[in-house]
Amino acid sequence: MTGIRKVAVIGAGVMGAGIAAHVANAGMPVLLMDIVPEGAAGRNALAEGAIAKLLKTEPAAFMSPRAAKLVETLNVEDHLDRLGEVDWIIEVVIERLDAKQALYKRIDAVRRPGTAVSSNTSTIPLDALVEGMPEAFQRDFLITHFFNPPRYMRLLEIVTGPKTDPALAQTVADFADRKLGKSIVRCKDRPGFIANRLGIFWIQNAIAAADDLDVPVEEADAVMGRPFGIPKTGVFGLVDLVGLDLIPHTTKSLRAALPPEDAFHATYREMPVVTKLIAEGFTGRKGKGGFYRLNRKDGQKTKEAIDLKTGEYRPSAKADLPALKEAKGPRAVLDLKGRAGDYAWKVIGPTLAYAAGLVGEASDEVAAIDEAMRLGYNWKWGPFELTDRIGGAYVAERLAKDGHAVPPILAGLNGQTFYRVENGRRQVLQAEGGYKDVVRPEGVLRLEDIKLSAKPLLKNGSAALWDIGDGVVCFEFISQSNALDEQIMVLLGKTIKLIKDKYKALVVYNEGSNFSVGANLGLALFAANIAAWGEIEKLVSLGQQTYGQLKYAPFPVVSAPAGMALGGGCEILLHSDAVQAHAESYIGLVEAGVGLVPAWGGCKEMLARWQSSPKLPRGPMPAAAKVFETISTATVAKSAEEARDLLFLRESDGITMNRDRLLADAKAKALSLIEGYEAPKPVTVTLPGPAGGVAMRMAAEGFARRGIATKHDLVVAGELASVLSGGEADILDALDEDAILELERDSFMRLVRTEATLDRFESVIETGRPVRN
Amino acid sequence: MTDIVIAGYARSPFTPAKKGALARVRPDDLAAQVVRKLVADIGIPSKDIEDLIVGCAFPEGEQGFNIARLIGLMADLDLGVGGVTVNRFCGSSMQSVHMAAGQIALGAGVAFVCAGVESMSRVPMMGFNPMPNPALHEKRPGAYMGMGDTAENVARRWEISRADQEAFAVASHHKAAKAQGEGRLAAEIVPIATKGGTVETDGCIRADASAEGLASLKPAFQQDGSVTAGTSSPLTDGASAVLVCSAGFANRHGLKPLARVASVAVAGCEPEIMGMGPVVASRKALARAGIAADALSVVELNEAFASQALACMRDLGLDEKIVNIDGGAIALGHPLGATGARIVGKAASLLSREGGRFALATQCIGGGQGIATVLERI
Repeated sequence: MTGIRKVAVIGAGVMGAGIAAHVANAGMPVLLMDIVPEGAAGRNALAEGAIAKLLKTEPAAFMSPRAAKLVETLNVEDHLDRLGEVDWIIEVVIERLDAKQALYKRIDAVRRPGTAVSSNTSTIPLDALVEGMPEAFQRDFLITHFFNPPRYMRLLEIVTGPKTDPALAQTVADFADRKLGKSIVRCKDRPGFIANRLGIFWIQNAIAAADDLDVPVEEADAVMGRPFGIPKTGVFGLVDLVGLDLIPHTTKSLRAALPPEDAFHATYREMPVVTKLIAEGFTGRKGKGGFYRLNRKDGQKTKEAIDLKTGEYRPSAKADLPALKEAKGPRAVLDLKGRAGDYAWKVIGPTLAYAAGLVGEASDEVAAIDEAMRLGYNWKWGPFELTDRIGGAYVAERLAKDGHAVPPILAGLNGQTFYRVENGRRQVLQAEGGYKDVVRPEGVLRLEDIKLSAKPLLKNGSAALWDIGDGVVCFEFISQSNALDEQIMVLLGKTIKLIKDKYKALVVYNEGSNFSVGANLGLALFAANIAAWGEIEKLVSLGQQTYGQLKYAPFPVVSAPAGMALGGGCEILLHSDAVQAHAESYIGLVEAGVGLVPAWGGCKEMLARWQSSPKLPRGPMPAAAKVFETISTATVAKSAEEARDLLFLRESDGITMNRDRLLADAKAKALSLIEGYEAPKPVTVTLPGPAGGVAMRMAAEGFARRGIATKHDLVVAGELASVLSGGEADILDALDEDAILELERDSFMRLVRTEATLDRFESVIETGRPVRN
Repeated sequence: MTDIVIAGYARSPFTPAKKGALARVRPDDLAAQVVRKLVADIGIPSKDIEDLIVGCAFPEGEQGFNIARLIGLMADLDLGVGGVTVNRFCGSSMQSVHMAAGQIALGAGVAFVCAGVESMSRVPMMGFNPMPNPALHEKRPGAYMGMGDTAENVARRWEISRADQEAFAVASHHKAAKAQGEGRLAAEIVPIATKGGTVETDGCIRADASAEGLASLKPAFQQDGSVTAGTSSPLTDGASAVLVCSAGFANRHGLKPLARVASVAVAGCEPEIMGMGPVVASRKALARAGIAADALSVVELNEAFASQALACMRDLGLDEKIVNIDGGAIALGHPLGATGARIVGKAASLLSREGGRFALATQCIGGGQGIATVLERI
């Protein structure tokens, strides 16, 4: 097969529809089919219903309304022959071998030869699936195991059989990597593959241990979450999230498939509490609640948790574990005296041992098992990385002391670690001994790899500059949460000088979970508390100047956000020549939320963009009104695609689906701009002046009367209205960039001196949310 | 004085803005089809028409230029027929009728097509570039006050309860649905050709409107208010037209006039309670016609909002049974510039259909005005 241009998904359950939606997110047309249900209104009711439901799901399954239009909703009775149109057929039907095999026969009768067919099975071995199927079908068949929700979970487990055509499997893998943005982990044809086999083992073990040691669910989650680099949902919170009913189902099929000597069986235990919860409809967040629930009684919302002993709900109390907070690192947690430490070990020890046992069984690669857990369960460290952090010898000794079998690869460590850095390259221990480089897929460029061997060209406490080759340098934020501060502006200034002398292009990029959530509010609040207004204004000016220099620098600047790019983090994108955004970028000017206006050129750039947009009618008001609407409501785009509609991104900006390919794509974009590069010409804008200000304030007052805007929102909206209407400008004036920057600065300074704005800063710093004042 | 008569009435279907069947129709195309059909149905040579007077509340964009002249050209009226666009916001096309009546009285013509149009899909309320005068806004904020807020003011000052507003809205829908079901609306509607096919039915009417349904809506304009989307007229696309001529002209051409124009009036009021404009304007018009409200058999009172319609009915002492017999704007829709000609034409038709001697057509106008027309059976 030559490539994938159209895809079909059969089975419109939660997973099937989610996979179809994500294929559409990649801009690919997709056919979604299910059976014709008895007594339904329409013959495509199942697929149609699934898409209608997805359109209301939060977080959104589709990246844009355009994507939703790419899904064609059909049924397998009337439309099976249309499988002839597609290059990849993904089967996501019920987990029953006979049902799947019957479907494969029907698919095989209508598909074009060479069309890839894959199953999203999570437990049935490939061997069994293709038994009795023609050779040609077996050649085109593989397992592609997505994780839920398919848009957001980056792991894709791929299993191929002995007869699968390697080239075809590679085509599917490349498509999943580049177009769907998945990281591919190749697994052996063993039950549960990697992530679920280890993940379910860990969950089961954690629930049973909590029961044994009488650990309340809150405490179990506090111990099992953050300290081990595991999401703060821990284990009970996670089960609530994925659904309690899923666990016994998966456990059952894993137990049926795994040989009796597998350690999986030893952790299994019937949990009457769980059975009861499921039977009563407490299936987790999708149901009436799970291990936790919000009890809405008498108009009050109380968080409750299950008592594992009695099976009854009781008010939930935050785990009170001062020792846990003090413990530095996972090893210290395992060493805690008492229930928390005992529990941590009783879960983590056997889990790491089970992971070690999977080497050679589920995969030959230590790194693949780590990757599967990082991306499939959002663990910060995979089990072997975690073992390295705890100490392999510690783990092996403590397992032995417990009388637990120590897997050979763990026993054979002899003081070595699973990972090491050698000559600037990250290496990983091989099952047969010795180390090999950790290899990235072709074309992947990671700053963390570059940093292993390179020294920064420039660096201070908040930012660093790296040479990423071919004359391109990469500016990295390294401050806490990538918050923007004076140091970043200073280093950007130095960077611009350095590039003028020695380099050709700049990429602004980092590998934090968020590109940047904006300026450092803590510093601003501190300055305000000591009335250092001059210092605050200096920082505002410095940011304006620096971003201005960036925009007019004689070399191309490409910014490459992933995750949140808010406030000042958004403004740097607006001043770049081009943006290469990860598809999961959440871009917005959110200053109004904390009682400010964008003042590092955000208002100015947005006005210029909307004023030249053909989407709006002419005249001085439409652009100003549109920007007012976007900024006054602190609108954040829910995807890079949506950011295009809001003009945070331009049509010419690029979107990268795979997070690991973002830097390479950004660098390529920068290189493409070098030849014949000319800095942009300064722009002027025509604004409505005081009349426009009145119109915008009237709109805000309407929101206030409807109870949508608060008292201080009105103050902020009033200042924003002044900036966006051009202050005292006349409609005959063309305002230059400096004039708007001055308006931004003046409004910002007036707002930052208000009590209500500072109250918002304080609440954001303390609770992560601005107070509604 | 020469008798001035309404000798013909037609309108397009009224459909919801943005999502209705006329959303993608240009307002000039829409009005031209209505004018062409009216003139053709009446069967007079268009060269006998003095002027085409078109009301429009936001005459810009596709409603810009001098849309009246352009509609005349599009409808293939004789090149000798004039064209003028007038703006008195919601009262625009009733003003067209008044201007025609004045011209006829002056001896400046005998026959006028008085039309109105608004595409609230394609030209937003407030226009594309709303630029209020800051000094006036400072001095008199009510000058630019949102219509919903004026409706809340009226509801508060006249103590119109939410339940009463909702009962009124439900009744409007039910009357309109009944009229539609019995084919009483089809007679006035000109089918409109669109790219998506011919549109010939009103799109805003909800036959299933219920008090319970309306009670569940959130206040649309003020958190603690009583006015909801359900008790406000919807944003609407539509066009309408009437033929206003001298009784002599009608005679000469063998036309059957629907009614005689007995009197007209406009009046200003506080902008903050613009919904009460019909009271002052109607009182003036009734006095000019020399009658009291109890002499009326038919009233078309535009339902911008249920609160102001109820308050006006109360202040004018109108019997609800004679008000908006086939439903009002809450059910039918309110394409701003087109409403005046619709309710004048409708009142005239109802007078001839229902019997009785006098009819009143009146409406409120943003910024604080009312306009009224008294008609008399011939």
